Amino acid sequence: MSSVVEAAAGARPAVREAPAPRRPKLADTWWRHLVGIVACVIALFPVWFIASAAFNADQSVSGTSFLPTHFTLKNFSQILHNTVVDQSTGSKVDAPFLRWYLNSMIVAGAAAFLTVILSALAAYAFSRFRFKGRRMGMLTLLLIQMFPQLLLFVAIYLIILNTGAIFGFLGLNTFTALVIVYLGGALGVNTWLMKGFFDTIPRELDESARVDGATAGQIFWGVVMPLAAPVLAVVGLISFIFTLNEFVIASAIMQTTSHFTLPLGMRGFIDQQYGQRWGPFAAGALLAAIPAAALFMALQKFIVGGLTQGAVKG
Amino acid sequence: MSATSATPAVAQVEIPRPALIPRVLSAFSGTPGVVAKIVLLGILNAFAFWAMYVLLTRSHWVSVVVLALATAGIDLVYLAPTRKTLPLKFLIPGTIFLVGFQVIPIFYTVKVALSNYSTGHVITKHDAIQQIKINSLQPPPNGRSYTMTVARTSSGELVLLLQDQTSKKFYVGTTKALTPLAPSTVTSGPLGITAAKGYTVVKGAELFALDKTLQNFIVPVGKAGIRPQTISTAVELEPTLRYDAKRGVFIRLSDGAVFADNGKGAFAHGADELEPGWTTGVGAANFKRIAKDPLVRQPFLRVLIWTITFAALSVAISFAAGLFLAITLDKRGMRFQRVYRTILVIPWAIPGFLALLVWAGLFNDKFGVINRMFHIGIPWLFDANWAKVTCILVNAWMSTPYFFLVSMGALQAIPDELTEAGRVDGGTPFQLFRRVTFPLLLVAVAPLLIASFAFNFNNFNAIYFLTAGGPPQANSSIAGSTDILISYTYKLAFAAGKGQDLALASAFSIIIFAIVALISAIAFSRTRALEELA
Repeated sequence: MSSVVEAAAGARPAVREAPAPRRPKLADTWWRHLVGIVACVIALFPVWFIASAAFNADQSVSGTSFLPTHFTLKNFSQILHNTVVDQSTGSKVDAPFLRWYLNSMIVAGAAAFLTVILSALAAYAFSRFRFKGRRMGMLTLLLIQMFPQLLLFVAIYLIILNTGAIFGFLGLNTFTALVIVYLGGALGVNTWLMKGFFDTIPRELDESARVDGATAGQIFWGVVMPLAAPVLAVVGLISFIFTLNEFVIASAIMQTTSHFTLPLGMRGFIDQQYGQRWGPFAAGALLAAIPAAALFMALQKFIVGGLTQGAVKG
Repeated sequence: MSATSATPAVAQVEIPRPALIPRVLSAFSGTPGVVAKIVLLGILNAFAFWAMYVLLTRSHWVSVVVLALATAGIDLVYLAPTRKTLPLKFLIPGTIFLVGFQVIPIFYTVKVALSNYSTGHVITKHDAIQQIKINSLQPPPNGRSYTMTVARTSSGELVLLLQDQTSKKFYVGTTKALTPLAPSTVTSGPLGITAAKGYTVVKGAELFALDKTLQNFIVPVGKAGIRPQTISTAVELEPTLRYDAKRGVFIRLSDGAVFADNGKGAFAHGADELEPGWTTGVGAANFKRIAKDPLVRQPFLRVLIWTITFAALSVAISFAAGLFLAITLDKRGMRFQRVYRTILVIPWAIPGFLALLVWAGLFNDKFGVINRMFHIGIPWLFDANWAKVTCILVNAWMSTPYFFLVSMGALQAIPDELTEAGRVDGGTPFQLFRRVTFPLLLVAVAPLLIASFAFNFNNFNAIYFLTAGGPPQANSSIAGSTDILISYTYKLAFAAGKGQDLALASAFSIIIFAIVALISAIAFSRTRALEELA
């Protein structure tokens, strides 16, 4: 699967060595620009309209227009104060958007951080040690990973239901349960990805540290992890975004509105309510999307490399 | 300066490291590292002992043994003075979670799929028998009814103060017996007893909080019992069924009909089943239902076909669009390339669930921007066929950037010499693309296409956030027009109103797994990923 990456890496110098061609004339490339512009319009279409709706005074989806007809920040203030006023009836709706945002950050942040640690530990063992069952272990990881956690939601729901009856902190509607369940999927593709990167870190570094008297743990934390920062960032971000988007398991475990993550909360908020809540929803969506999208764009180059080696983002 | 240039490349990596390593080692070496290890292990052990204690008090013997063995094993690995356990030290943390929330759920899914776990079959047989006994209590034709006041004795025991509505006599009922109350100790109004000597009447919020307790509060009278009906009335009830513990059957008292365990988790007399049932293994019954029962098979086949169509078309369209954009915009020296590239990645960078919810609003048939902007009235989400088109289009919108980037990388990786040679041989640009570029590109991208297909096969969000599987089908099946297998499974498990069928949902999960595993097997045989195992 890594053939794209390898081939790309191998071919790049050849591209550079070729004499730089003259900038093509607009007469030859106009149609390329036309395609590019049309594609950009389609790509930005929903982004533009959601931004417009977020600043528009009309809360209904029917009020959405190319530019806000009545510019306002009301939608944002409603969302940030956790109450949305229904435009037609005037009744107040409880919408703990900040709560959902915080829940999502806690769950996705904790899951991503721990995923990085757990899969790095395992990847280090697979990369540096030669032990019985190593090959089997890696194969088993791949096989188990083919049964995605998504498909196991019924079993996970029942397990959490039962553990909750004995250990309250591990029951339905708890963040510990949700994060720990997500960690079940920590190994797998991530471990393979990291192992590939660890293999490229010269073993001489480990050995020189060992000569200096370092234990395996010290080599891992002090030498390998700092050098593996790029792949740690990629795995962290991929698992953060995956967790941020995850709905099925979160909806099976989280039962009350105040425990919802963003996908649960936002979907429940806008479901069948496009006529009344579109404005505040747009504001919330914008606030939620911008940080995630910015982070993603910043690390985009690494992610494409990582994804072509195995994972696929939704 | 000259030393650096004498050892190029290697020097760049190695020279700073000796400085870093001793620093890190001094920070971690010796005591702090050992202390951290001991403290962490100590916390783990303390926690495990507490958990074992809790499990012991509830007689979960198997869990206690498993937990004890696991804890002992972990201690051994981290404390044993041998290098042999070194790999395990690194593998154990992740493996614990993998086993707990990936491997065990797989086995549990199989177990549930082979059971009848569904609404009406969620408790054990023992609990079901108790529940049936309570359910079988019915008011007899001339049964007495009482006004009821809930009260507590001086010791706090809950009692019912009752007044027979026909004889107007007073009684006090406990869970053990019904005893008469002397009228002189009782103050009563039209709604029954308001006060009684030696008892404190329960009122207000406390009374409502007792609702659950009262539902199971039975005052035994002869072979019948008195049970609260509302918070202020009670009725005399008689059992309609008798449980024969020896034969393990219920016998209906009115006609002597025998309700025996039917092997499917219920007591049945012919087709007549007593509720509730209990959870029991039913073998491959769920899979047989999927294969044979037309009520299950027809939606399943329809959904399966749509799932494959959805996944295949999503991949095909987004790959075609991404490749087209890559070819068009990857012209050396073209202006604004970076701008296009940056903007075109945006759909992929936005969290998917938000993009889907936004598209659902824009495609709204009455108010949606798309219909208003183009002055059309297409029911994008509310017509079975249009909804399918919308799902594929939106999903393609989301994943085109991925294939755009991938195709761009793959195109740049194809050596210029090959196309150059083709051009010298007189090939037209189209011929060159078809005969040289595209086959090479496909070799590189094929595994990603298959992986993407497998992903979209289970792309729950793409369906659930856009159409929620709707519009509904005319035959009122749970599966809507755009439901894919995973969203159908989700609805089977958690659908409101129609009852949960967790067993059938688990059987679906296993079938989805089989299909996806088949696809993945193809993917792996193609990618030769396994050969990289050194």
